Amino acid sequence: MEALAHGVGSRTDLPIPLGLALYGAGAAILLSFAVLLLFWRTPRLGGADSGRPLPQALQRAVDSGAVPTTLQAVALAGAVLVTGVAVAGPAEPSRNLAPWVLYVTFWVGLVPASLLLGPVWRAANPLRLLHRGLRRLVPSAPGAGRLPAVGLWPAAAFLVVFLWLELVHPGRAEPATVAVFLIGYAAVQLALALRFGEQWFAHGDGFEVYSTLIARLSPWGRRADGRLVLRNPLATATAAPAVPGLAAVVVVLLGSTAFDGLSRTVFWQTGPGSANDILSGTLGLTVMIALVAALYVLGTRLSGRLASQEAGVQPRRYAATVIPIALGYTVAHYFSLLMLDGQTTWILASNPFGVAGVDLFGTYDNRVDLAAVSSDVIALVQVGAVVAGHVVGVTLAHERALLCARRARASDQLPLVIVMVLFTVGGLGLLFGF
Amino acid sequence: MPLRPAGLPAALVGLTLTAALTGCAGTDSAASPSTASTPSSAAGTAPASAAPATSGQRIEVTVAGGQVSGDTGRVPVPVGQQVTLAVTSDVADEVHVHGYDLTAELVPGEPAELAFTATIPGVFEVELHDAGTVLLSLQVG
Repeated sequence: MEALAHGVGSRTDLPIPLGLALYGAGAAILLSFAVLLLFWRTPRLGGADSGRPLPQALQRAVDSGAVPTTLQAVALAGAVLVTGVAVAGPAEPSRNLAPWVLYVTFWVGLVPASLLLGPVWRAANPLRLLHRGLRRLVPSAPGAGRLPAVGLWPAAAFLVVFLWLELVHPGRAEPATVAVFLIGYAAVQLALALRFGEQWFAHGDGFEVYSTLIARLSPWGRRADGRLVLRNPLATATAAPAVPGLAAVVVVLLGSTAFDGLSRTVFWQTGPGSANDILSGTLGLTVMIALVAALYVLGTRLSGRLASQEAGVQPRRYAATVIPIALGYTVAHYFSLLMLDGQTTWILASNPFGVAGVDLFGTYDNRVDLAAVSSDVIALVQVGAVVAGHVVGVTLAHERALLCARRARASDQLPLVIVMVLFTVGGLGLLFGF
Repeated sequence: MPLRPAGLPAALVGLTLTAALTGCAGTDSAASPSTASTPSSAAGTAPASAAPATSGQRIEVTVAGGQVSGDTGRVPVPVGQQVTLAVTSDVADEVHVHGYDLTAELVPGEPAELAFTATIPGVFEVELHDAGTVLLSLQVG
């Protein structure tokens, strides 16, 4: 039984000090208005054709098909091992590799990996390899034409399911739960991919969409002509097309992280969430996602109305600008989990099936060093990530507005900026705890 | 049940306590991770009050009929503090301090004590292993 937030883990972070929270909130507000009023008055970031091309050899390697296939085969071997451990490994969650790999190393580790290396899970997604094998048996994909219309909505739905499992389900850390999830997820995704074609994974695999979303802030991009380039991450973020459902994915990520923060506060644990059951957790998660969605839609629509833009397209148009805010939150909430409890994965990997006497890497008797990162560093990373995400988000929104209307008044963006400030101050408030 | 080393040698515990008293909680862990394995965790049911809890902080909780009373909620503890956690339950269970990874068997009606030095900063749940009830959260820092 693990009652802690975010799936597994043996500790949660200390509340950040009040001073740090206030400085962070002040900096966020000041910087967003500075960006809005002074920073630039014309679009500055390059578009889809900007960037410095990477060497041809590297491009050929990435596009060859051999590299992705190799990565997918390696990821498949890892996924099979982890599923096997979930089914047949030690029954105690704290000694079973599977929950730690799923909730910490994979789910949280996907963030830094995608930020540094680009859309890694699109390249390494083992389900794509399995799908190509199954495709020989089922040659036609009747639903392929419908994918552009559904956009990323299926991914948003799958992410809600995973996040509910991670943050609400009482048995989330049990190896059996992890086994059922992994096998069920693979089966459902493969069935849908057979119907909709391989492009399904880019629309409906929550993990791949999450990785691709974060990769929009990585230094690697693809020019309109397909050339791989190194460029300003902000340019990649704005160059990305506005896809249906993108706003939903971002709102789900932001709302669920907010719920994770809320569930750690004394207010939640002694008040609405004191029952600590499925009902209160499900309601809490739903309310937080709905709250974020309402604020976001309100802010973008109001900004659109002030600028005389069509209100209906506004939420989708600005979705990419909220990605950095969601990313900043995610880093703030999960940095310490990856650095501290994430050590468990490497300890347990030394003896995945818990067989007496097996110790592949000589690390099985190691203990997690919960003091490896000091609480001061954790607090600074938390506030730094939230504020940096905020600044990048406001900057992107400003650039986006200028691209839509060259002579846009800065004041038209005020509603959206105020919503972003609310997200940031709310996020810092949750880190401060109450 | 988690497998864990059944208590560190007494010499190592002594060493750790000295390190903690010098106030370098953030750096001493490399030498002795999870410093808090006190003799009481090895002794199991015995309510071994190993450390002379003179200036330490005493935290007491009672579990009766599934209800938790006493020092519940979030209990603040300064880093480096000597802590004695006393749990009395009306049913047999096992109390588990997360992070510090300390456990003690609970015999109905008999108080079980865990004594340790709060060297790891963070928020840690103290829960009943079998019932899954969270007794309190230690906020070390």
